Amino acid sequence: MESKVIVITSGKGGVGKTTTTANIGTALAMMGKKVVLLDTDIGLRNLDVVMGLENRIVFDIVDVVNNNCKLQQALTKDKRYEGLYLLPAAQTKEKTAVSPHQMKNLINELKKEFEFILVDCPAGIEQGFRNAIAGADEAVVVATPEISSVRDADRIIGLLEASGFREPKLIINRLRSKMAKRGDMMDIDDILDILSIELLGVVPEDEYIVVSTNRGEPAVTDTVSKAGAAYRRVARRITGQDVEIYTGEETSSLVNRFMKMVKLAR
Amino acid sequence: MLKIKGVNDNLVILFGSGSYDDFLTALLNKLSTNTDFFKGSKVLFRGEGLNTLASDEIINLQKICLEHGMLINNISTPVESNTKQDLFVYRNIRSGQKLRSEGTLVIFGDVHESAEIVAAGDIIVLGKLEGIAHAGCYGNINSMVFALNFSPGQIRIANNFSRAPANDIKGYVPEVAYYDGENICITEYNPKARYSK
Repeated sequence: MESKVIVITSGKGGVGKTTTTANIGTALAMMGKKVVLLDTDIGLRNLDVVMGLENRIVFDIVDVVNNNCKLQQALTKDKRYEGLYLLPAAQTKEKTAVSPHQMKNLINELKKEFEFILVDCPAGIEQGFRNAIAGADEAVVVATPEISSVRDADRIIGLLEASGFREPKLIINRLRSKMAKRGDMMDIDDILDILSIELLGVVPEDEYIVVSTNRGEPAVTDTVSKAGAAYRRVARRITGQDVEIYTGEETSSLVNRFMKMVKLAR
Repeated sequence: MLKIKGVNDNLVILFGSGSYDDFLTALLNKLSTNTDFFKGSKVLFRGEGLNTLASDEIINLQKICLEHGMLINNISTPVESNTKQDLFVYRNIRSGQKLRSEGTLVIFGDVHESAEIVAAGDIIVLGKLEGIAHAGCYGNINSMVFALNFSPGQIRIANNFSRAPANDIKGYVPEVAYYDGENICITEYNPKARYSK
């Protein structure tokens, strides 16, 4: 079985790495893939909360690399989808509790069982980042349409390229198409012009993300969330399907208008 | 014959005239006098004297530096470092990356915002220049900076410094920066003009 190991990173904090990891992972599991989400943000773990699995954690990644438990014991099964697992970060340790070498070995173990290994990278460019990219073959960079986020993404892409990642791909998160259209926010072309890398997907700003995070239910499981739909597209592109990239244009088809009338669409 | 000086965060060992044996004794002398000072520093080999050495002799000298806890900073092979190096780069230089040339620096690509490019001679960017460019870093005030799309954050030529005006209109014509004796001037590139040289 050929496994894909994808690290989701950004440099800057708060741009939606964890949300992106949770949603892409869940969307892949919804397509019937065998997926593990690997939280490498040791000391500041969040992925378990976003997935709604915080009460089920017994062992974590530090326990696994220190042989305090078996890998199977630390893999927390998702409550909704068969084939979706979380390997949580430790909350009480620090980034240095795991080395890049240990991370590589761990991922090699996971490769035997999973088709997709998504690594949620911490913010920053220090050891946490080096751990997260250690075992990955591909990288996805998340950026929001803000100059600070784009600069950090540029920095991260440079570091990824220097570490041998040939073509990191970009997800633009929290795009407000109306503001971009007015020229009050960077639009997709502005960001691509600066970063000059391939676009994997665009996720619109969506209030439902806040709700879904609080509930511990990734937005892809919701049928009307716009962000959820965008993440489902990203997941399909990752599996190699030729899906058009969402560009922020409102579709105002008759069906959509009708759905709005009956308050099915947000 | 053999000089050691600090340039930025490198120790540059300058080879003057002399034979391999002269260099060897001189190097061992210098390293033995101040062992702790050299430990952990990055070393660059430069100078005309390298031209007279065989590559395995250069490697031997580098080994000695390594044994004294120093790090060799030569990215290229020792033989190539004989002459002043012009550097050709075929990629984009991203934020936080720093590039250095001991001669002219030519970049086939863009230089992104807050990237840094430094050259002993001229800098030529065949793309967009948005980062910081430092030409003539060892003091050559006749050095120039050229870019097809010229919108740098800062331009430095030798010891002179200039930053982009706050309301800079992004230019899409090839422009060149040079030092006219008082200021750094930026003007539309004209192949017929002689920029201070």
